[in-house]
Amino acid sequence: MSPPARLSDPGTRWEVDDPERLATAIRLRAVRMVAAQGFGYLGQALSCAEQVAALFAVARPGTDRIVCSPGHYVIAFYAAGAEVGLIGAHALDSYGHDGSALEAIGTERSPLFDYVAGSLGQGLSAAAGLALSDRLRGRAVRTFALLSDGELEEGQVWEAAMFAAHHRLSSLTVLVDANNSQVDGPVDTITTIEPVAAKWASFGWEPVELDGHDVHAVSQALVRAKDVSRPVALICRTSTAHGLDCLPPDADGHFIKLPPELAAAAVAELTARLGGAHA
Amino acid sequence: MREPPYQTEQKPYGRALVELARRRDDVLCLSGDLTRQCEVDLFQDAFPDRFIHAGMAEANMIGVAAALARCGHIPFVHTFGVFATRRPLDQIINAVAYPRLPVRIVGFMPGVSSPGGPSHQAIDDVALMRGIPGMTVIDIADAVQARQVCAAIVDLPGPVYLRLKRGEIPLIFDNDHRLALDRADVLTSGGEVALFASGMMLAPSLAAAAVLADHRIGVAVVHVPVVKPLDDATVAAVSAACQVVLTAENHLVTGGLGSAVAEVLAEAGLGRPLRRIGLRDTFAEGAGTAPYLFGKYGLSTGSIVESAWRALGRPGQAPAAGVTDARPGEYSPV
Repeated sequence: MSPPARLSDPGTRWEVDDPERLATAIRLRAVRMVAAQGFGYLGQALSCAEQVAALFAVARPGTDRIVCSPGHYVIAFYAAGAEVGLIGAHALDSYGHDGSALEAIGTERSPLFDYVAGSLGQGLSAAAGLALSDRLRGRAVRTFALLSDGELEEGQVWEAAMFAAHHRLSSLTVLVDANNSQVDGPVDTITTIEPVAAKWASFGWEPVELDGHDVHAVSQALVRAKDVSRPVALICRTSTAHGLDCLPPDADGHFIKLPPELAAAAVAELTARLGGAHA
Repeated sequence: MREPPYQTEQKPYGRALVELARRRDDVLCLSGDLTRQCEVDLFQDAFPDRFIHAGMAEANMIGVAAALARCGHIPFVHTFGVFATRRPLDQIINAVAYPRLPVRIVGFMPGVSSPGGPSHQAIDDVALMRGIPGMTVIDIADAVQARQVCAAIVDLPGPVYLRLKRGEIPLIFDNDHRLALDRADVLTSGGEVALFASGMMLAPSLAAAAVLADHRIGVAVVHVPVVKPLDDATVAAVSAACQVVLTAENHLVTGGLGSAVAEVLAEAGLGRPLRRIGLRDTFAEGAGTAPYLFGKYGLSTGSIVESAWRALGRPGQAPAAGVTDARPGEYSPV
């Protein structure tokens, strides 16, 4: 089975019964994907698991567009894709390996996305372009774009934010994974990006600030955004360690090391949370 | 070919894009706050629903254009060459070129045709774009070619960078000239000098060839509208038949036409002396007029004559290149 090139491709189908469980399943699969190499972008999966689960629950299969601006986050989408049956176990196991189409940082080969950017800060421009195309063609399609808070340091994000608001691209909804993590450390120690919600508001967007680990709140906010006449930005407050208690407190959120013993503990913890049925 | 001083016309590109858009629903026009300067006020008037103001935000403009192309539109993106290539280089590489999307990036005001100083002088745009895999790089010479260029590039696979003179555009070719993007055009014949010229350097190259012909030096002037992919075969064949090779570009001599020709000569094992006319590892400067800059930075007819004379080892002073005076509305190279 080869995964769909885009979740928006006509005929693509999936169902999500329990978004909360999906978020935990994303974490478990991400742990296994990273454990194979002993390190990787696990922190991103841990911080965005509820947002990705909510996206899979709310986006209309075969219609709505998904943009993943930070290419390091593909791990969570692949885990979700596998969980809902769009990516086979064999393909998922190849994540990050030589010759795999599931590269660890998103590329043009990456399945599922309407756009994924490896060079950060570029996804919102693409999302705006996709939404603009849909409007030019009279297509009733929503575009969801996941951004990270570190990316907000890139000027292009704000060029795109102004553009989308000026052109009233109300079919566009952004999730900002505000995990306060970037390569050099916590975002707030590198550059003060707050007040994030006020920035989006001042750029003409409707900001919604919420607990990014409350999957029902994120899902509801995604649904409500449809009826807002402006583009909406959900500022999802999250942590790169959420939902995995066994991680040491000093784990590097951008690139977590996961030696075998820690990986085994993580698998055990998450398997237990899923009720043991997933082992 | 016409003779200098050349008649000029305004907005041949802008009219051509409107004409193309009448036939092609998929053509969109984006502008980065230089709409009239890039001749696309004509498009805005004709097709307001297909005209998109991106504002002074080139990185976003390229990203939006890339997504539009991904959806099946053919976006033509307009600003000055400096802003089109320097500011959004990473966006062009990652969002446009890597996915091989048909975005047409149109950069006006090449090289020292702007007296506006280094911030406005695109002396490195060809080098930047030529370094990108899959990018077609076009530097056309006159209004007759500008009238045809939109239709010529609309269906090219992958991205295109088109470099265009701003303002009064000379008519150098005859009206029945056909712009071909798959070959360089051998315009004159001669066995001593092979002279490859792109864009605005065609006019002084033709003038230099005429001066040299008066001194029994035959010059094969080859116009190279497509710097990448280069017509290697014509470059090699014409070079092989001559004693020395010259290139002339309104650009740095590194990374553009001169470098491209040098690569062909070296790979073909053609040991011809090569002289490259262009800016030499320097920024230019602000000035009152473009002709002053063409003269000062070695982009004149006289510079080409001098280079050929020296390369051929002719003794004494190179012949003087008389400048044809141009009245208002006419164009002559310096």
